[in-house]
Amino acid sequence: MKYLGIPLEKPKVAFFGFTGCEGCQLQIANKEETLADLLGAVEVMSFRLISSDKDDGYDIAFVEGSITTEGEVERLKKIRAQAKILVAIGACACLGGVNNLRSRFPLDETIQEVYGNHVIESGPVRKLSEVVTVDYELPGCPISKAEFEWLVRHVIVGVIPQLPQYPVCVECKQRIKTCVFDMGIMCMGPVTRAGCNAICPSNHMGCWGCRGAVDEANFESFIEILRERGFAEREIAERANFFNAFSGVDVIPQLEG
Amino acid sequence: MLYKTISKDNFRKMLEGLMENNEVMGPRWRDRDAQGNKIYRFLKLNNFDELELDYTRTYSSPKNFFLPFKENLATYKLGDSDWEQDIHYTIHPRVIVGMRACDINALRKLDEVMLKSVYPNPYYSARRENTIIIGLDHEPLEDCFCRSMGADVALRGFDLFLTDIGDKYFVAIGSDTGYRILNQYDAQDVTEDDQLEFKRAKQEIESKFKTQVDVTIVPELMDLEFESEVWEKWGDKCLSCGSCAMVCPTCYCYGTEEEVDLTFTHATKSRCLYSCNLLDFAMVAGGHNFRPDSHIRLKYRYYHQFRGFVEAFNQSLCVGCNRCGVACLAGINPKDVIDDLITTEKL
Amino acid sequence: MSLKIPHHDINLEPTMAKAPDFNRKSERMQTERSFKSEIIAAIPLTAQEKLFHLRICDQAERENFSFLPGQFVMLELPGCGEIAISISGSSSNHEFLELCVREVGTVTGLLHRLEAGAFVGIRGPFGTHFPMRKMKGHNILLIAGGLGIAPLRSPIYWANEHRTDYEDITILYGARDPGQILFDYQFDEWRKIYDLKLLTIVEHPDEDWNGHVGMITDLFDDVPVDPDNTFAIVCGPPVMFKFVCSYLSDLGLPRQRMFVSLERRMHCGMGKCCRCNVGSTFTCLDGPVFDYWTVMNLQEAI
Repeated sequence: MKYLGIPLEKPKVAFFGFTGCEGCQLQIANKEETLADLLGAVEVMSFRLISSDKDDGYDIAFVEGSITTEGEVERLKKIRAQAKILVAIGACACLGGVNNLRSRFPLDETIQEVYGNHVIESGPVRKLSEVVTVDYELPGCPISKAEFEWLVRHVIVGVIPQLPQYPVCVECKQRIKTCVFDMGIMCMGPVTRAGCNAICPSNHMGCWGCRGAVDEANFESFIEILRERGFAEREIAERANFFNAFSGVDVIPQLEG
Repeated sequence: MLYKTISKDNFRKMLEGLMENNEVMGPRWRDRDAQGNKIYRFLKLNNFDELELDYTRTYSSPKNFFLPFKENLATYKLGDSDWEQDIHYTIHPRVIVGMRACDINALRKLDEVMLKSVYPNPYYSARRENTIIIGLDHEPLEDCFCRSMGADVALRGFDLFLTDIGDKYFVAIGSDTGYRILNQYDAQDVTEDDQLEFKRAKQEIESKFKTQVDVTIVPELMDLEFESEVWEKWGDKCLSCGSCAMVCPTCYCYGTEEEVDLTFTHATKSRCLYSCNLLDFAMVAGGHNFRPDSHIRLKYRYYHQFRGFVEAFNQSLCVGCNRCGVACLAGINPKDVIDDLITTEKL
Repeated sequence: MSLKIPHHDINLEPTMAKAPDFNRKSERMQTERSFKSEIIAAIPLTAQEKLFHLRICDQAERENFSFLPGQFVMLELPGCGEIAISISGSSSNHEFLELCVREVGTVTGLLHRLEAGAFVGIRGPFGTHFPMRKMKGHNILLIAGGLGIAPLRSPIYWANEHRTDYEDITILYGARDPGQILFDYQFDEWRKIYDLKLLTIVEHPDEDWNGHVGMITDLFDDVPVDPDNTFAIVCGPPVMFKFVCSYLSDLGLPRQRMFVSLERRMHCGMGKCCRCNVGSTFTCLDGPVFDYWTVMNLQEAI
C-alpha cells in the first residue's frame, strides 16, 4: 500500500483493557461497515473481543480503562515498554472517567459497600498518563468510531493527529440544534472538546464532558453563567466531576463525599 | 418592480402546489424553551399546516441552505502515487418560504462576497441560483435592530416578497420565476385600497422597532477603540465557543479539511464553516497564534462585521437580527458592545 | 408552466469544464481545481528546508500558468491538506515551479517525505506581487531574514533577468547561524554574472564562519543607501522587517517604496475563508506583498 508514493506499512496493533467497561473496544469491534477496511489497514496482534489469538509483537497499543491496582500498573508499564506508540482510548484511560467518582470516598468504605467482606485489591483511580507516557489520547465515553479510524489513518501515514480545538457548541450549532440551556438543561458543551458531533446535546441531554476540557476554556465565565441560570452548586459539581474531565480547575465546585 | 396581490387561500394553494413538485423549506417549530415558547427552525414542509408564518425568529439562520456547515469541495481517487481530482457542484432545487427581510439582505451581503467579488464561488452559485425565495414581512421583536443596520426592507434578492394586508398578501415580484408561479394562482393587480393597506402595514411595522443601535461612527471607532477596555470587558465573558458565528446569517469564515479513507484509495476536501472566535482560527503551523486571546478574537469578529466589510463593500456585514445575542450564553450582543464603544462616558 | 422550479446545472457550463486561469479573477471557474504537478526534484537545503521543483502535468495547464514575483500558490497533498507557499523561482521559467518549504506542520511534514516522481496539487497563482516594473531605473535593495530568502529569490531572478533596467542591486541576507543559510551555492553566480552586491550576516557564527556577525541592520554600515533613488524589498519575520523598515525610513526612504510580504494562515487564497485577515485586509488578495505604509496602517499587522 502506498499513499502519494510513500510506502505504508501495516502497523501491528494490540488492544488492552484495564478498569472500565470495554465499551470503547466494543465500538471498534462493532463498526461492521468499515471493519474489513480496518483489518486490511492494520495487523491485529491482540484483541480479546474479536479473537483469542495473542502476540506480543505489537508496535501500537490502544489502551482502554483507568488504572486502579498495582498489578495494572505493572501490566501497563510492560505495554509501554513494548509499544512504540501508546494511545489512551476513552474517558477512563484519558481522564480517569466515571471510576474516579469513588475517589472522594474512603477506599475501605467503597470496597465494603460493593464487595462486603470479600477481599479485593484496589487503589486510587488513575488515568494512564499518571502512570506512563501517553502518545495520543482519544477521549469520549465511549470513543467515536469515526475518530478512532481517523487516528489510525494518521498513525499509518505517520502524521500527528490533532483533536478539534473548539468546544462541542460548534458541532451542536452546525447540526442546528436547540441549545439545551434554553430548555433549562445544564450542558458542559461550551468547555468540552468537540469531536463527538454533539451527540448528547443534540438529543436534548446536556453534555457531561466525557471528552475532556477544550484548550483554554473560560471556566470562570462558564461557572458564573451556570450560577446565573440558577443551577445549584451540587448540580454543577455533579456534572462537572462526573468524568473527572475538569480536575484541577479551581473555579469548579467540588463534590463532597 | 412589479407588485400584485394574492388571497390567503390562493397563497395556500400555491404553496401546496410548490410542495407537490419541489422541496419546500419553511419555519416550523421544533422544541419548546423552558418557558414553553416555541423554538423555530427552517425545515422541510410536508404540508401547509406545518408552516408557522407568524414565527418569531429561527434560532439559526437559513444561511446553511447556501453555505452548508460542511460541504464537499472535491473528491480524489488515489493510486499508489498518482491521483485524479473530481469536482461536482450540488444542484438541489428548492423553495424557501417565510424568510425575513433581514435574512434576505444577509444573503445579498453573502452574494457580494461569493458572487460579485473576485473568484466567484461556484458552490454557492449552484445553490443560490437553484433556490426560490419567498419572503415575508413581520413585526419586529423586542431586540431586532435590523432597521439600524438598514436591513429591515428587502428590495432585491428574493423571487416573491409578501406583506400581510388582511385577507390577502401584497406581493413584490423579484423574478420571472416568481412572476410565473404567482400568476397561476389568480394574482390580482394592486388596487388603490391595497396600496393604502400596504402603507399602513409597513408603517405599523416601522413603528414597532424598539431597539436602536447607532452605527454611524462605528467603523471609525473600530479603529480608534482598538485598544479599548471594552474588548477585555466582553472578552472576559466570551467562551470562545463560536455559537455566534454559527447562528449568524452572514458569518462565512471557513476552514478546509482533507481526509483520506482507510484503504488510501479515496480522499475528500471539504469546507467547514468556522468562527473567528475559536482558539486556533489564526494559528499557523508551528503553533504561533496571531490572535491568542479571546478578547482579541471577539474584537476581530466585530471588526470584520462593522469595519472590514464596510471598507470592502460599503455596508456592514451585520443585519441586526440579534441571533448571536440570543445564542450567546455569556450575554454578549451587538447592541451592548456597540453602546459601550460609542459611549462618551468612561467605563 | 409547471410548478417544478427550473434548475440550472452549472456543472454543464463550458467555463467550468476548462482549466481555470487564476489570473482572471472575475471569471467563474473551478476554484478548487488543483493542477496536478509532479515533483521533479526534492532538494534538501538544510535540516529543515527543502526546495521542490514542481512541473504541472497537463500541458495546457502548464502553459496557462504565469505568475509575477511575490505571488504564492496553494499547495495541496490530496487527503492531507493545503497550504499557502510563496513561489521561490523565476517567473520566466514556464517549465517548472520552485517552492522552498520549511518543515513545520502536518502538510509540510508529509511533503518533506515525498520523493521525486510523486504528485501534488497546485492552485494559483494568488495575491499581489512586487512592482518590479515600477522599480525600473532605480537601485533595488533586497533584504532577507531567515526563510525570507525564499520569496525574495523570485524578484532576484527578475532583477537579474532584466539587469539593465536597474541601477545598483544589493542583497542583504541575515540568518541565525551559518547552517541555516539557504541558496549559498548560487551566491557566486549572482555576484559574478549579474554584477550585484550580496552581503550575508549571522547572529551565531560557528568556527568556520569568517563573515559578518550581528543583526541584519549592521550590514548598512557597509551599504550606502540613496533614499531618493532606491526601492526596498524586505522579507522575513515581522520583528525583522519592522526593524529594517524603520531604519530605512529614518534614512529618508519613503515607506511606499519599501515592500514586505506578510504570512498568515490561509485556507483558500481567494478572499473567502477569512483566515488571513489582518484588520480589514485580506493577506491573500490585498497582499501578501504590501508597501510598508499600508502595513503600518493595518491593525494587528506586526
